[in-house]
Amino acid sequence: MSEGTEPAILHVDLDAFYASVEQLDDPSLQSRPVIVGGLGPRGVVAAASYEARRFGVYSATPMGRARRACPEGVFLAPRFERYEEASHDVMGILRSFTPLVEPLSMDEAFLDVHGARRLHGTGPEIAVAIKARVRDDTGLTASVGVATTKFLAKIASDLSKPDGLIVVESGKELEFLHPLPVERLWGVGPATRKRLDRFGIRTIGDLAALPEETLTRAVGDAHGRHLHALAWNHDDRGVETERRAKSVGHEETFPRDVVDRTILEREVLRFADKVASRLRRAGLAGRTVHLKLRYGDFKTITRSRTIAEPTDLAADFARIGTELLRAVDLGAGLRLLGLSVSQLQEAVAVQEAFGLDDAESPRGSEKTRRDRGDLERSVDRVRARYGDEAVMPARLVRTRSERDA
Amino acid sequence: MKFVCERDTLERAVSTAYRAVASRAGALPVLSGLQVTLSPGSVEFTGSDLELTIRSRVDADVEGEGKAVLVARLLVDTLAKVQSGRVTVEIGDDQAKIEAGKFRSELRTLAASDFPRLPEHEGDPVKVASGPLAEGLRQVVPAASRDDARPILTGVLVTSTADGVRLVATDSYRLAVRDLAGMSLLPEGQKVLVGAKGLGELQRLLGDDDVEVFLGERDVTFRLANTEVSARLIEGDFPNYQQLIPSGYPNKLTVERDALTSAVERVSLVGGTNRDSSPIRLAMSSDGLELSATAQDVGQSFEPVEAKYEGSDLTVAFNSRFLLDGVAAAAAQEITIESTDPLKPAVLRGGDAEFLYLLMPVRIA
Repeated sequence: MSEGTEPAILHVDLDAFYASVEQLDDPSLQSRPVIVGGLGPRGVVAAASYEARRFGVYSATPMGRARRACPEGVFLAPRFERYEEASHDVMGILRSFTPLVEPLSMDEAFLDVHGARRLHGTGPEIAVAIKARVRDDTGLTASVGVATTKFLAKIASDLSKPDGLIVVESGKELEFLHPLPVERLWGVGPATRKRLDRFGIRTIGDLAALPEETLTRAVGDAHGRHLHALAWNHDDRGVETERRAKSVGHEETFPRDVVDRTILEREVLRFADKVASRLRRAGLAGRTVHLKLRYGDFKTITRSRTIAEPTDLAADFARIGTELLRAVDLGAGLRLLGLSVSQLQEAVAVQEAFGLDDAESPRGSEKTRRDRGDLERSVDRVRARYGDEAVMPARLVRTRSERDA
Repeated sequence: MKFVCERDTLERAVSTAYRAVASRAGALPVLSGLQVTLSPGSVEFTGSDLELTIRSRVDADVEGEGKAVLVARLLVDTLAKVQSGRVTVEIGDDQAKIEAGKFRSELRTLAASDFPRLPEHEGDPVKVASGPLAEGLRQVVPAASRDDARPILTGVLVTSTADGVRLVATDSYRLAVRDLAGMSLLPEGQKVLVGAKGLGELQRLLGDDDVEVFLGERDVTFRLANTEVSARLIEGDFPNYQQLIPSGYPNKLTVERDALTSAVERVSLVGGTNRDSSPIRLAMSSDGLELSATAQDVGQSFEPVEAKYEGSDLTVAFNSRFLLDGVAAAAAQEITIESTDPLKPAVLRGGDAEFLYLLMPVRIA
């Protein structure tokens, strides 16, 4: 299934995640062996910095043994809330490249960037950009594997650690895979390894060369077939987002409650711009626009409107969002404003419309609409190259200069 | 005041007027009611959402004269549940007593003085044959938009032609045009835009008798035997639809209507609840027609349909509901679909040249 397709599946894995977060938050820990885990008598290591690994301390090492192996280590109890927060930031970065992000745990995720390539470049280019963004925005390092299958992408990122990047070119998968030791295959633990050893199988290539029937006799039917498939890089599992995205949105809490409608309308415009951009990146279009308003007293209301045909244009979301905003009472001001779009569908099929000249049409003529679509897509391309701030609606530019003033 | 009437006739009259009652009364709560007008020998029920007004009259034994407003939903539901036979409605100052068999209820009424003054038709009516008008409306009304954001497209353009009248509607995805020759609905050179919702209700009510049409400045009223339908005229210019209709098409498919309808219904099932926005592909070649539909994560389906095709091989996709609407509107057993390419409008016709349904394709990426 890999021939002829560019590698566009990424496995992103944060290096020594918990330990790295601790080193990040306390610079005095940098370049020291940091071991995070249960500190009690029966505790095990949850994460060890690369400095600690040099002492033979890895995840799941019993804490007692870790203390003996690495007496000068810094032993810390985990702060899961903080890790969640860091994880959230990193997943946010990943989702800014594509909504097709499948988190496996707090510190690793698969991405499918097939649809994002037009905007962000090839799979390997996106991998480089992700590593840079993660480092710049969070201070953490990530290792990334890029391949045509999830299975191979994960092997590649594992091999590249720490702070590495391995790209398995399309058509070279087996060349890459077969020399690797057989334990690299998912599902080959000590027991299976011992059995395979009896057949003289050390590398994945050895295993691939074995007839499937022989393999199934050695390790069981299902397991054998599974390993055989993996050894030939047959892995057709797609990247699955946590839950199929039901909506795409953006919300912000203001430093002070805002009652000025002009400011709020500009925010709607800005959010619409962000949301539309993310939808287009994902190849999605939506039919229902929701506006969420939280007042100073935390009372929260939502308003929504559904239109006939799905759209991915900021102009549509901004128009509907503004209309919804105009119909609500702002009371003593808002502490939070959010705009989201639901009823999503793949923008693969687009109902064409007549170029009607009814001036009353709030969407403008269909010609104008098409032009608007072309314009917004060009903006996507400029932003992909020069950053989100490179192009923006004029009303938002004014906001910034006002802020600076 | 009081009236006595047969339950079945009463229910028919009430539910007819009820169709114009605003689904959400909004700023004018009294519009959730039906105005009841008692006059010697008859009772009239009026429902309105201000855009559309329906009055229906029923013969009854009436004592006293006057007006009251009854909560519409409750009245309709009550009449639907009581047994056939005599129903007595006695209206007091702020309540109405309804008696049917052993059933009795006393219902609070709404303030009659709040009920808005509704359009009264003026001038002389034009008489129009119901049959052709009903057929024209059946063909054209479904193509009008239901999106209130484009008010002009929620109307049907009624325009006079050299020898009759033309009905036109579009929601910007499809356009339906029907010429009704010999129907002198409008003075020459005149055109009006009438809300499609009201015309849809009119179409349901049209029977065999002629209908009288009163055209006013702001409303048009259609008077039937016991019912009157008034629709507000929509202001604004209908888009120039004529420029949308291509002058010729290189490709022409001829297919049997029922065969196409049932095949489209089967093939588009795969689109599931999202069927309205899931396209159906028409692959046309000298072998005939093959329909197919694909839905992400669901599957796909195919069906060949016997058809005659002249032109170069072409695959074009349509919203299946829009296609079915067009096919249903065509009056003939044999219909033609003429097309140019997968992005240009296709035209569907049934037999004669008096009806035309122009349909924009769905672009498949």
